[in-house]
Formats: sequence, structure tokens, C-alpha cells
Amino acid sequence: MARIIAKKDLASWLQELLKGHTIIAPTSVGEFTMFRPITSPEEIAFDFDNTALSPKEWFFPKAESLITQDNGDKEPMPQVIDKLVIFGIRPCDAKGLTVLDKALHGTPFDALYSQRRDRAILIGVACSKPGPQCFCTTMGSAPDDASNVDIMLTEVDDGYIVETVTKKGQELMANVPLSESESPPPQVAPPAVIEGTTEAMTESMAERYWSRLADRCLHCHICAFVCPTCYCTQTRDYDSQGTVEQLRCWYSCQAQGFTCIAGNTLNPTKADRMRHRFYHKLPYFTDQLGSGYATCVGCGRCVTACPVNIDIREVIADTKQRNPLYRSN
Amino acid sequence: MIQQIKEKAKELLDSGAVSCVIGYERASDGLTARPLFVYEAEDIDRLIFDETCTHNLVKYLLNRKDEPTAIVVKPCDARALNVLLGEKQLRRENVFIIGVTCPGVVKTGWNKKGDELEARCQVCTQHTPPIYDFLVGEPIEEPSPPITFSDVTDLEGKSAAERASFWAEQFERCIRCYACRDVCPGCYCTECQVEQLDPEWVSIRFTPEENLMWHVMRAFHLAGRCIGCNECERVCPVNIPLSLLNRKLEQEVSALFDFQAGLADDARAPLATFKKDEKLGIGEWHE
Repeated sequence: MARIIAKKDLASWLQELLKGHTIIAPTSVGEFTMFRPITSPEEIAFDFDNTALSPKEWFFPKAESLITQDNGDKEPMPQVIDKLVIFGIRPCDAKGLTVLDKALHGTPFDALYSQRRDRAILIGVACSKPGPQCFCTTMGSAPDDASNVDIMLTEVDDGYIVETVTKKGQELMANVPLSESESPPPQVAPPAVIEGTTEAMTESMAERYWSRLADRCLHCHICAFVCPTCYCTQTRDYDSQGTVEQLRCWYSCQAQGFTCIAGNTLNPTKADRMRHRFYHKLPYFTDQLGSGYATCVGCGRCVTACPVNIDIREVIADTKQRNPLYRSN
Repeated sequence: MIQQIKEKAKELLDSGAVSCVIGYERASDGLTARPLFVYEAEDIDRLIFDETCTHNLVKYLLNRKDEPTAIVVKPCDARALNVLLGEKQLRRENVFIIGVTCPGVVKTGWNKKGDELEARCQVCTQHTPPIYDFLVGEPIEEPSPPITFSDVTDLEGKSAAERASFWAEQFERCIRCYACRDVCPGCYCTECQVEQLDPEWVSIRFTPEENLMWHVMRAFHLAGRCIGCNECERVCPVNIPLSLLNRKLEQEVSALFDFQAGLADDARAPLATFKKDEKLGIGEWHE
């Protein structure tokens, strides 16, 4: 038996939550849907397949000060929003945060990321219409996968089916009026699974495959910046009029100068960098942590955002289809 | 049209005149186009050309300076090629130019194909490439509309405060992915100013001010060199209307120097030359 929250009750509950919490939710910004702080539940957008950027930036900001020091007076660490609610996160993006935890919330440990993660509550909304770019099922998730959120909402005619997944989620919804319903959850056609085996990538993949694919790459940073699990950064120290600051910003492994700050470029050609990216998205984490931890979660953002249509789904399919360029021999 | 391109590509590859033909193929959405590098004759059938072929492929020639390469260019792309030839970035003998006459391309995105022509095509005055080795398609006799800058003048009609807030809103979205730079045929510095550490011209901080610094700098470096292919605007993942900056500079260069970039392969950008009789714009020329 499913528990349902009526749409108007959801709005008034969120309105109540706003008194003590900062709520980040999908909102319409121009022609995009972006995760932004809301002041009223009316601002929340529901009709979209996914947001332009993942909610990663609320845990792992585009730019943040790691240390600031002003004339000997130590400034406190950058502020971390205390009671943060991410509303409307998609299952793929929630899985992305679980994957990011492996990189930043274990060993090694990123203090700022971890504080934000610990203080945040994730309220997921299941996808009712996966987009043509979506392939979450290929990466071991599903449009209604509730395993990485605190509360999962699934839209039905008169409201949302509520599934409180964690203790945090139960506590947050403790006093919310819910009705019981017999009606089964709506059936959503999940995206088709792309046949391919990312394990096969660990076998030697032909140099020529990557150089041909990289031919059209512009080595811009779009794929890394829209990705819910990319976490590379560059750090610089600034010293201005007695203020010292260490600043950390997103960076992309596709950039020409990536890792140059360490004195050398590890991947000098576009093909090297592209191979590195796809290995990082597919087999590297699964080799170390087991299947289910591929850093790609199948959100499809890089597919739609790439200006020259470098499509990770084709790479996955190529591992299966034994693209003639795939094997060196 | 596509048959002519394919036949020429086959001829060039078979004879060994070029080692690669850069053209377009169908993208993974089955609807739009993406760049294709053809090295072997068996891939020639993947080539397409239609109203979704919006990319300017000329940038890719910079990676193949020493390799004889054939490239499919629209009139605007051909102007970019002229700019690079004029700036001695390419060897003419290494490039075989397959020019296509172009009535305009439509607005596209992944799995999205608009009905309307791209904004740049609506004001385009050139339907035949100014440079080519082999021309594909019938010459388009359509009368060229006069060059207008209504988009620029509309914005200029607003007050300084309105313009400042307009741009602040645009640049707030910028994620500094540098796709605008990386796609631009005119941006070929081996070390871009944004990556220089000493001095650091632009901070890596993502703030509207630093983003403004980056975009103004980028636009100024293209003054008198930008040919208006609008690739920077097309690739922008957050839809910043970069063409407005480029068009403003195009308008200024046109008024000051009576110059349009890329019309000839030996023209030099006005800001890279000095002529005693040219107007300076700020005040007037004094003897």
C-alpha cells in the first residue's frame, strides 16, 4: 500500500520547511532548468527531463576558498549551508553523489564536501519521462531508483507516492499528512539498456580508436562541467593587499594544460585525454570498487551538451560491437 | 550535392592528393550533423550535407597543418579559412577546399532541429564561398540584403545601467568551459591568456566580473578577425549571446576601416596593420 501526499499538501509542507531550511530545487532560468535556492514552492519546475547542470555544484561548488587569511586574522572556513534540502533530484544525479562520496567523502576526505553532504537531505522525484539521451539503466540505476535519496516522490494523478528511504527522511516527514492509496505506482518505460561491457575496455583498446574519436573533440570543458561525477579541480594561491587566499575551481581533464601545474602534462594529446576520460567514467572505479560504482551514471548531459556530439553511449556500444578500430592487433 | 562531395572526396583520397577529408556525418540523434574525418574510402558514404551542417570545420585544419587535407566549407567557413591563410596559420597547398553554396543553416542542438534559419544566416550576405578549389551546388542568385546591425543597435538603445545588468545576468551563467574559445577558428594561441599564470590576466574564480573580463578579452582579440560563424554562441552550454559582442566589434571595424574579415586570403586584420590615412575613431587623425 502506497502512502500519498497531495500536491497542495506538498506545497504547504515545503513552505513550512522553508522556515528552517534552505531548499534548492529545479527552477526555470531562461530556457534552462537549474537547481537554485527557492523562496516559494511555486518556483519549482516539475516538467523537464533533467536540469542543465547537476546539483553537484551545491556540494562541490564551481569555485570556493579553501583558506583565507587577512592580516594575520584567521577567517573561518567558508560557510556551509546548515540545513540544506535538495528537492527534485533525479535518481541518476543522486547516484552521482553516492559515487562522488567514494572520491571525496571517504579516503581521501574532503572536509567541505563532506560537511555539505552530511548536512543535506535529498528529496528525489522519479522520472516520469526519461529523455532520449538518458541511459541510467545501462549504468545500473533506474528512473525510479530510490537507493541514493532520503525521500523519494513518484508522481501520481492527485499527488506523489512518498517513500521515506532513510532515517533522516523519516524524521523530516514525521508530521506530514499522508493518505493511503491502493493504486499502483505508474509504469515508466525505462531507457533501453545499451549493450556493451565496460570491463572489456580494460583490455587494450586501440590507440587509433581514441585518436579517431578525439579528432572532432574541441578539448573544451563542457563534458566535465555538466557531469554529476567529475571532481577535478585546479587550485591557485592569491595574495592581494595583505589578504591571502587559496582558491579551488572546477577543472577538466580535457583541457590542454591539465596537470601542467605539477610541471608536466600527463596526457599530451586529445586522444590521450579522451581515453583517460572514458576510462575514468567507465572501468576505473568499477575495477577498484566493484560494479555499481562506474562514475558514469547515465544522465546523458554530456551527450546533449557536447558541441561536436562525442557520445559516451556510442563508446559503450563500440566495446560490444567490436568496432574495427577497437582492438589493436 | 552530396554526391558531388562524395565523388570529389573519393577522387582525392584514392589519388593520395589528401590524407583526410573533413566533412559532416549524421549525429547520434539521427537528426542533426557532426564533424567527420574521412581517412579511408570506405567511410565516404557516411558523408552528408544538409541544412543541419552548422559547424565551422576550419578549426580542425589547425591540427593538420602539415597534412594535405580536404575540407567542406560553407561561405562563412571559407571566410574563416581566408583569415587563417592571411595570418599564415595554414599552407594553402596543404588545403583542398570543397566549397558549398549555402542558402543558410537551421538552428540545431542535440536532437533538436529548428525550422528557422540561424540568426547569422538571416542576415548573411554571402551565399558562395569566397575561396574554393571545387565548388559544389548551384550559385545562389538571391539578392544580398544590406548588412545590418539591428541586434547591436537594439541593445545600444538601452541605458548604460540596463546594458550593465543585461550583461551581468548573461555572464553570471558562464561556467568558463572555454568552448567558445576552443571552437573558434580565430583562437589558435598555443598558450591562451586565461591560462597564463604570470601575470594572471583572468582569475580562475567564476564570478561575473572575471567572466566579463574573459569574454571582453576574447571578443577584442577577434576584432576585425571574426567572420561571424557564431560557433561560439552555438557551443555555449548556457546560451550566452556572444554574437552581440562580436557583432558590435564587427560594426566598429566596418565603420572605422571599411573592412570585413575573410573576404580575401591575403587581407590583414586592420588592427594588425597601420595605414597613415586611416581613421582612428577616438578623436580624429591629426597631422
